[in-house]
Amino acid sequence: MSLDPFLLRPIVFFGGKGGVGKTTLAAAAALHSASGGARTLLVSTDPAHSTGDLFGTDLGPQPSSVAAGLWVAEIDPALEAQAYIDDVKDRVEQATPPRLVAEVERQLDVARVSPGAEEAALFERFARIMEESGRFERIVFDTAPTAQTLRLLSLPELMSAWISGLISRRRKVTTLGRMWRNVAGAAAAEGIEATDPILEALEERMERFNKARATLTDPERTAFTFVVVPERLPILETHRAMGTLARYGIPVGGLLVNQVLPDKPDGRFLRRRKEREAGYLAEIQYRFGDWPSAYVPLLDEDPRGVAGLRRLASLVRTDPAEESD
Amino acid sequence: MRSGKGRLSSDTSFWSALRCRLQSAREIYEGVYMAPYRSTIHREYLRQRDLFLILGFSDLLGVPNPVQFYTLELLPDLIDQFHSWHLRMGMEQPPEGGFRCC
Repeated sequence: MSLDPFLLRPIVFFGGKGGVGKTTLAAAAALHSASGGARTLLVSTDPAHSTGDLFGTDLGPQPSSVAAGLWVAEIDPALEAQAYIDDVKDRVEQATPPRLVAEVERQLDVARVSPGAEEAALFERFARIMEESGRFERIVFDTAPTAQTLRLLSLPELMSAWISGLISRRRKVTTLGRMWRNVAGAAAAEGIEATDPILEALEERMERFNKARATLTDPERTAFTFVVVPERLPILETHRAMGTLARYGIPVGGLLVNQVLPDKPDGRFLRRRKEREAGYLAEIQYRFGDWPSAYVPLLDEDPRGVAGLRRLASLVRTDPAEESD
Repeated sequence: MRSGKGRLSSDTSFWSALRCRLQSAREIYEGVYMAPYRSTIHREYLRQRDLFLILGFSDLLGVPNPVQFYTLELLPDLIDQFHSWHLRMGMEQPPEGGFRCC
């Protein structure tokens, strides 16, 4: 089966330009993985709930079973941000002087809608899913369009640089606080604790980033599969995206070329498109020939439900031309 | 006997004078060396603490903070320091846009 080369690792990302069929192929691959006997979790981050539509069910952030061995979770970035803020609020209520609680909560509500909040919350969730991956033998991430995803996956790299800067600053503060307590006596330096909860929180955060990054960049555990259609813009975008992934050390698993026209298209319009396509397929070979690749035909109807996805998976082939059978 | 008593009192006054000198020597040391040292440390401590506050909450000053989402969880521990900062800076009320801590 031609989807197998994309399911060699326990953590599989599907990405690509918007509209190339990531959601459908990620679902087909997850289903195929589950049919092969691996307990599989398909994670979608699409706020438009396309995965739910594909399987014809309502899905939520908690994994729900849609087929034998296959669970699906649909993560809504806005809800994730809300959940994180609520969690911080809970801790605030325990730790903040009562007169300040209302103010801190106001500040948190502002932060919830600030740029980057949903992205960070989404990453937080990804990291947690990867950490708690023990329940599943394989996790298939159906990611948002390329740019967003690349940013998301580069977060640990960027964030950990910033956090480590904060940590070294904070170390300086605690060192000076300790010196001040030594020369001024415990009474004058009241409120300066020997252990610093802020430093501890930052270090814990750093630890989680490092863990996530270790998983994302481990070629034994993670592979990123690109979905592309034989057209100019998706090819260019995918080519650039591969460069970005390489820069962040995220291993590429291969390339799925979707919506390949039938060999003998009927009608003049499709024949002309097929001629164009030949050039793009050659270009895909040229640019991405080093990666495992497979081709998915354009079907006469869009795949729906488990049966439709199984049919699609069975049509995946390693050669762009139709197999003569 | 008088002389003995005198010797005794002169002994006492010798020791107390010595103690007195040592005490003032300590006060001089304290005033000349320790006090500036202590205040330098304290000032530096507060400066570093304020700097950390700026780094962690630069968005309040209009400077984008790429890790704002992650510094939120530090809020409960830092809001008191923010309060002491604006008092030290001579602002009775916290500046606009920041936490309304009082």
